[in-house]
Amino acid sequence: MNAISITGLVKSYGKVAALRGIDLTVPQGTIYGVVGPNGAGKTTLIKTLVGVVRPTSGTARVLELDPLNDKWALRKQIGYMPQDAALYETLSARDNITFLGRAQSVEDLDQKVSEVIAFTELVSRARDPIHTFSGGMKKRVSLACALIHQPKVLFLDEPTAAVDPQLRARSWELFRKLAQGGTTLFISTHLMDEAALCDKVTILNQGKILLVDSPRDILKRGKTRLSVTSRDQCSQAEIESTPEAIAQKLHEFGLPNDISSVEVEPSTLEEIVLEIIREEPQ
Amino acid sequence: MKHSLVIGQRVLRELSKDKRLFGLSIVGPFILIYFLKIFIDSMPPYFPAARYAVPFAAFIVHFFSFILCGIVLVQERTAGTLERMFIAGFSRTAIIGGYVFGYFGLATLQATVVLGETLWLLDLDYGGTTLLLLFVTIVMLSIVSVMLGILASTFARHAGHILPFIPLVMIPSIFLSGLLIDPEQLPTWAEWIGMLLPFRYANNIIQELIGSTFEASVVYRNLLMLAGYICALLIIASRTLKEAD
Ligand SMILES: Nc1ncnc2c1ncn2[C@@H]1O[C@H](COP(=O)(O)OP(=O)(O)O)[C@@H](O)[C@H]1O
Ligand SMILES: [Mg+2]
Repeated sequence: MNAISITGLVKSYGKVAALRGIDLTVPQGTIYGVVGPNGAGKTTLIKTLVGVVRPTSGTARVLELDPLNDKWALRKQIGYMPQDAALYETLSARDNITFLGRAQSVEDLDQKVSEVIAFTELVSRARDPIHTFSGGMKKRVSLACALIHQPKVLFLDEPTAAVDPQLRARSWELFRKLAQGGTTLFISTHLMDEAALCDKVTILNQGKILLVDSPRDILKRGKTRLSVTSRDQCSQAEIESTPEAIAQKLHEFGLPNDISSVEVEPSTLEEIVLEIIREEPQ
Repeated sequence: MKHSLVIGQRVLRELSKDKRLFGLSIVGPFILIYFLKIFIDSMPPYFPAARYAVPFAAFIVHFFSFILCGIVLVQERTAGTLERMFIAGFSRTAIIGGYVFGYFGLATLQATVVLGETLWLLDLDYGGTTLLLLFVTIVMLSIVSVMLGILASTFARHAGHILPFIPLVMIPSIFLSGLLIDPEQLPTWAEWIGMLLPFRYANNIIQELIGSTFEASVVYRNLLMLAGYICALLIIASRTLKEAD
């Protein structure tokens, strides 16, 4: 069973076409990344899947349920972390999480709240009001809120935007842990290099999917700039980013003993993604 | 029902943690009643103080509940917490019910403060039944306010949009519902508009109650009108509180 399957999804806001025919499937237990610049339609796509945006046409299924018609069955099984923190600023982290846990009628709620607070590393600040928190900490509270009922599918809308690199790395460790526990994660990001951390990546631009691939295969689309220095001569070449291509190129040089250094600099995922978006006719 | 209580509890907790807002919504009415007392003191003797003061106290609660509920709900919408409540599994009726419970708590407190202060400052004395009915009327009126606040919030994209509803809904109540002028003295068309305003029925009840004797049937008929108003608004509000767009 696929965790998510979407066919021909279109969403227009008046004249603005936010999604222009999306098809994709997400197998269970994977981290699926939606990468795209601001305004690409990432939020609209996620909101359609959690049932707060009505598609103009096309179908979306999450755990084979219709997000609008089967919302009561679906909402028990999905977690949603909005792009903005969406927390009650005067309440404590614990109160915020407890409130959403009650919506889901979670059993042993106090215990579960303590668990997610520990998981998101908020123990020392759990009783402080949200308005005293930094942006990164609010994101973690928001994540904890989305996790409280142990959802099967988790939708995270730019969970690491405006978060410092250290916390970002920590967040991805948490995401990976959740996926290992069998949770499907559907994560949007405008940070292209984060795509490397997903199992599968789709590149979204102006409401259309440009590409679906594993980060490894996307990286193969990049070029590797190879510089070979032999005695005083330096020769440079741009080749495909596969180990085979590199070896072949080096064979051309015969790899004589006097080659003193070989530097390999593949393009970054960010460069590749930006290139794919640029190539798309506007 | 259980979900409504959960939301109501959260609304109250938020209000109580927001010291400034909470203080203003209790101290504000308290000060306004005192201003009213000063105004009434400046009137000639035999001025029918109760006829103006008691409905004015009710109006203050009506006004405050409307604005507070409207603004807080718009904030929920813009902050994304409303959407989050839906996705977490709260239903529309649970959310509306939760707001009614939450503001019921606040309105009870406000009603106690303004009614108590009015009776004390103006040295008014009513029997137990009259007091109870006055209290019930004010609290029912505040439920209407919450519903109106929910309705207004669905037309607002940010908190500032609640402001135009003050002249639209609240100020006509002052002139057309019998607070200042007996509705029978109004032009017919204005009297008709007054009949659309919920405060008109609350005022009817209050004017009846503060007389030397009161006709129970008049009180109950108008209470029923308020209840009808609540039901109608509940239906409209639950239709307009949009979940998906
Ligand atoms: N409620 C709305 N009304 C009108 N236009 C909208 C609305 N929500 C999103 N859009 C438009 O749809 C497009 C996609 O937006 P969004 O899904 O928020 O993109 P992203 O999350 O990738 O930044 C943008 O052009 C945006 O302006
Ligand atoms: Mg977005």
